[in-house]
Amino acid sequence: MKHLLKVVCFVIIFVILTVSFSNSYTRVNLDNIAVVVAMGIDKGENNKLKVCFQFTNPSSISESGSSETASTILKSVDASSISSAINSMNSYLGKELTLAHCKLVVFSEELAKEGISDIIYTLMNDAQTRPSCNIVISKCTAEHYINNSKPFLEPLISKYYELFISSNQFTGYTSNATLGKFFDNMICQSCDPYAILGGINLQLPDSSQDALTNKETSDKSNSASLSGNTVSENVGLAVFREGALVGELNAIETLAFMCIGNEVKGFLISVPNPQVENQNVDVYLTPKANTKIDVSLVNGSPYITVDCKYCGQIYSMTNDSNYLDSEILSRISESCNRYLEYIFTEYLYKTAKEYKSDINAIGKNSLKLFSTIDEYETYGWREHYQDSFFDVSAQVNVRSSSLLSDS
Amino acid sequence: MTDSKITSKEAIMLVVTIFVSHTIVTLPQNLLSNTKSATLINLIYVGIIAILLAYVIYRLLKNFASLDIIDISQYLGGNVLKSIVGGIFIAYFIVTSSNLLREFCEGLRVAFFPMTNILSILVPFILVLFITNYLSFSSNVKTISLIFPLVLISIVFLFFGNFGNFSFERMFPVLGKGFADTFITGIGNIFAFSGISCLYFIPPYLKEPNQMKKICLSSVIIGLMYFLFCTATILLLFSFFVDVDEVLPLYSAASYIEFGIFFQRLESFFMLIWILEIGSYLIVTNRFSISIFQKITNLKFHKPLAMIFPLLIFGIALLPKNYSIIRFLESNIYAYFIIAIVFVFGIAILFLANLKKRKEKRVKPQKIQ
Amino acid sequence: MNFKQILTDLFTYTPQEEYNFELLRNTVNDTELENEYLKKENQDTSIYTSLSVNLEYVKSKYNSMINSDIIVREFTLIARGKQYSAFLLYIDGMIDTDIMNRFILEPLMLRNKSNLYGNDQNRIISEAVTNNITVRKVKKFNLADYIMNCLMPQNTVKQCSEFSEVFNDVNSGNCALFIDTLNVAFDIEVKGFEKRSIEKPENEIVIKGAHEAFVENIRTNTSLIRRSVHNENLIIENIKIGEITKTSCALCYIKTLANSDLVSEVRYRLNNLKIDSMLSSGQLEQMIIDNNLISIPQTISTERPDKTASYLLDGRVILLVNGAPYALIVPAVYTDFLSTPDDKNMRTSFSNFVKWIRILATFLSLLLPGLYVAIASFHQELLPTDLLYSILASRETVPFPVIFEILLLEISFELIREAGIRVPSPIGPTIGIVGALIIGQSAVSAGIVSPVLIIIVAITGIASFAVPDYSFSFHLRLYRFAFIFLGYCCGFLGIGLGLLAYIAVLCDTKSFGIPLTSGISPLQKTVGHSYFLQPIWLREFRASYLDAKKEEKQEKISMKWKYPFLKKEDTK
Repeated sequence: MKHLLKVVCFVIIFVILTVSFSNSYTRVNLDNIAVVVAMGIDKGENNKLKVCFQFTNPSSISESGSSETASTILKSVDASSISSAINSMNSYLGKELTLAHCKLVVFSEELAKEGISDIIYTLMNDAQTRPSCNIVISKCTAEHYINNSKPFLEPLISKYYELFISSNQFTGYTSNATLGKFFDNMICQSCDPYAILGGINLQLPDSSQDALTNKETSDKSNSASLSGNTVSENVGLAVFREGALVGELNAIETLAFMCIGNEVKGFLISVPNPQVENQNVDVYLTPKANTKIDVSLVNGSPYITVDCKYCGQIYSMTNDSNYLDSEILSRISESCNRYLEYIFTEYLYKTAKEYKSDINAIGKNSLKLFSTIDEYETYGWREHYQDSFFDVSAQVNVRSSSLLSDS
Repeated sequence: MTDSKITSKEAIMLVVTIFVSHTIVTLPQNLLSNTKSATLINLIYVGIIAILLAYVIYRLLKNFASLDIIDISQYLGGNVLKSIVGGIFIAYFIVTSSNLLREFCEGLRVAFFPMTNILSILVPFILVLFITNYLSFSSNVKTISLIFPLVLISIVFLFFGNFGNFSFERMFPVLGKGFADTFITGIGNIFAFSGISCLYFIPPYLKEPNQMKKICLSSVIIGLMYFLFCTATILLLFSFFVDVDEVLPLYSAASYIEFGIFFQRLESFFMLIWILEIGSYLIVTNRFSISIFQKITNLKFHKPLAMIFPLLIFGIALLPKNYSIIRFLESNIYAYFIIAIVFVFGIAILFLANLKKRKEKRVKPQKIQ
Repeated sequence: MNFKQILTDLFTYTPQEEYNFELLRNTVNDTELENEYLKKENQDTSIYTSLSVNLEYVKSKYNSMINSDIIVREFTLIARGKQYSAFLLYIDGMIDTDIMNRFILEPLMLRNKSNLYGNDQNRIISEAVTNNITVRKVKKFNLADYIMNCLMPQNTVKQCSEFSEVFNDVNSGNCALFIDTLNVAFDIEVKGFEKRSIEKPENEIVIKGAHEAFVENIRTNTSLIRRSVHNENLIIENIKIGEITKTSCALCYIKTLANSDLVSEVRYRLNNLKIDSMLSSGQLEQMIIDNNLISIPQTISTERPDKTASYLLDGRVILLVNGAPYALIVPAVYTDFLSTPDDKNMRTSFSNFVKWIRILATFLSLLLPGLYVAIASFHQELLPTDLLYSILASRETVPFPVIFEILLLEISFELIREAGIRVPSPIGPTIGIVGALIIGQSAVSAGIVSPVLIIIVAITGIASFAVPDYSFSFHLRLYRFAFIFLGYCCGFLGIGLGLLAYIAVLCDTKSFGIPLTSGISPLQKTVGHSYFLQPIWLREFRASYLDAKKEEKQEKISMKWKYPFLKKEDTK
């Protein structure tokens, strides 16, 4: 009898637990979710937001794994906030939306200029959001951007979103700006957030473009010189100050940002050839050590020294290059040094004076100078950053060329 | 109790379990809000004080071989003092464990079960407590010693997995809020070492009572290193300037770990391990409460009490109406509560008992003469 | 046909005659009679001196009128020239007729030299004459001793004075010799029944070890163990269990190694079983273990003599049951269920690798379906996005929720497994392949289950086969369902707490006084082998939880050939 009672007890407990957790089960269960891959937020009418969600249709992924591009679905709603947008979308779809696999959040430039800190706070408050989700500021509307973001090397759009930024470690033309990092920088008093700058290139395939000699210096999204069938491009950085967009950086400035922030593993620069005028030498640089940033206070203003070291390898060859001569190599190194110092200094002064935004988080290096937090807060890094003086020194050691050394 | 004794390694794990379970919930945040960027230095400082206190407790307990604080209070003040001390410690164990359980369940609710009532999330913990209370003390300790290495590995993994995201400049300014705040008021951070309360109760269970010194010191040192890992993870990962308090900050820290594309969002696995850890913490506090109650009331068998204490914990865990009350209790009242009971009261009782024993020793030789 | 007849045929009810057999419950009188009869049965009766009384008693006891194979051979015995009536009692089919004819009947019935001596029944030992009085010391002629010592050239002969002893041995296959005027009977070993020869083990296959297995006959089994251990300190005690069957059960241990308390405890448990019959080792196992509620095994069951011998040498106790080819090893520890005899035969690195594969198999077998259900129900963010999409795509056509799908597949897998045992051997393996692959594939094509789930269930099934101990893998199969339910109920919360409760109960279970988690829970220095098997030169000590009489198994430097230059003091 006792045994029977025990069995009955177990059954009752099981039933109670199932019933009490059934609400959560219904909401987050696999059969009931619609997986959002990307989210775009635009400015709508009447101070509302226009939120669009991109889904992938799972049934287009067949068993044998097709190599065709999986179809994506884009839906948008008008709402006063993110949460109400998600709510409306739930009612349209009939399935529960989940942001757990959302890899990309796109804000339009218009909206970003007004400030997106509230939206970021709301997103980070949600337990489902991934901190590693990329954040993009698009020059066109977010919906347009997402609609035209079609991968041409991967079948699945989610895979494309995971990988599209991975080349940045080897080019330095854009950064892996994530939502978590954005949030962190936004709430920190000694740094400012940044985001990837994205856009849609509307050039038609048969229109020609003039070849620019220093084409990479002015590359930004929406004005890149890439031709062909590619549509979306992500080059450059969007600079924020306390949650509002204040400016943009082009490819070279982004490269400078990445170098100072130790995020780049290698990059290619085109420096003037010291031997031949009007000719450029392409050198591939890899960092030798982490960039050293030292901050000291001179008359209340920050005096910042930036010290970076790189090794170089020459990639371009002509029919009369001779890279076995150490003097030539050292002259090329000096040319690289000058070039790097120039671009770093330009970038630093631009962000400090024009944008008044410390996206490299140099303010963290200044914490050593203060002994208590009160002192730091009284000083107010943000206000003093625009008065800073930068001293950049770059040391490049060009080692050799690639396979050929003398032609 | 007639079941077998526990070894010294198991005793160390028992004590450290209590340290560990608090860090999973909000302890690092409370520490950080007190001392901001100087927390690591403050922890080392407070840790040294805790080691000294543990040594003091060892010396005070040494004179009473294999007696715990309840027996010592009986020796000191008879049954009255025994009941008072027992009652205070039972209240301490039950309130702290129910508070911790409620906080953890709130975190679980946010993370996993948004639509479920907090009552339903508490129930499985209570059911497990029912089962484990029927088993013997030594088997419970064995359970804890099986689970404990998993938890340690998880925290170390959390630390090293997030290493790339750390910014070591967040350790500056060195003195945080100021010298006074770090070293003088900062002594209040010793409430993190509330697990020392276990040391008062383990002497009767030890197989080798002469290893007590090793147990006291090793457990505090391991606890200190553990705190350093946890607090460093949170301090170096997140910005402390902000007044953004998180529910389960370690859970948020775990979501930053990624190895390539495949291993992302591993925090659910960490939660699985932490559920085991919170379960073992509850087992420890339950068993101690039951044994104290048995001693106060001179009961022979502990099995009839198996259902009472879990239900008490369940009831008290349901008392706070919303999360803000829990956080208020945790950050403001809880610290003083622990310091008063564990450090001041406990050591005072031991000290007075030692004085009494010394007096008796002096009186006895005189009588013989 | 009459109209009345038709009506009566239509409307009357005639009850059908059915065959109905019912076992009537015992009334009070019946039970009283039964108890009286049982009392009479249990009274020990001594053997009578009169042959005819013995014969009647034996015939009535064995119901020789009805029993077809109880044979009574009456003959005349010649001893020292005198003739005595005698009879032999044996069971046809259990004796070796050749031995009986040549070594019992022949010497007793036929004339031979020793039987020619006659008349002088008493033998004079010494004689002393004093004062014309002759005092002789005479040894009286003892017929029983004479027959046993001189007349019967048979190796095992015993004198018995109680009928119960005699019947016991006759039931085992001996024959009993009753002689007129003697109140003792001779119990003679003539066993010759057919039995299975020693074959390969069917369920515990190893690559590098011996290929012998136990058989049903207990004497053969004990001989196998004796040959492996090869030491006089190996004690094999015989204990009879079961009121009716009186099954022989052997309790084996090495006197100088096994803990005496352990041996006494095992003996105590065996001697205090009030049951009618004991037919297999599985039954014995269930009757002597500490905790029957939790299905975890608390003894090791093996059919290999080499495994048995190695556990004997560790200080454990072995139980053998007549009629079952399995030996029970007590006490058992959790890590024993994860080891095979091959572990000690192979190099340590190989065996450690395979051991960790088995630990992984245990984990997968117990938790994988539960984890899948929990992740699919509550924690999809754990899955990589691509995997999530393939799962979603495969689940599009499936009409059932995850829990129903997984229960369906698990139960079908168990059905296939169970059916595979009983299918006649020519088509046995085919059914396994057909069932698993083709039915699974068809189910996927029909859209009843999703392919991901087939993989999960297949991996779980393979993992459960990788666990060496059969009872342990069965236990895991059973508890897998509990974890599936918990995962469905509350996701990782349920699985975490279920795991905590499982570990807690596991740590509490004892096997003959030794906690089941001895090797792993408090990590001790001198352990048998827990997660890792030590290299052979480091296995110096026996497991400390067994508390053997001799802790050291080998010296610190066991390979003396490698270190000839070391002095004796350095080796200690």
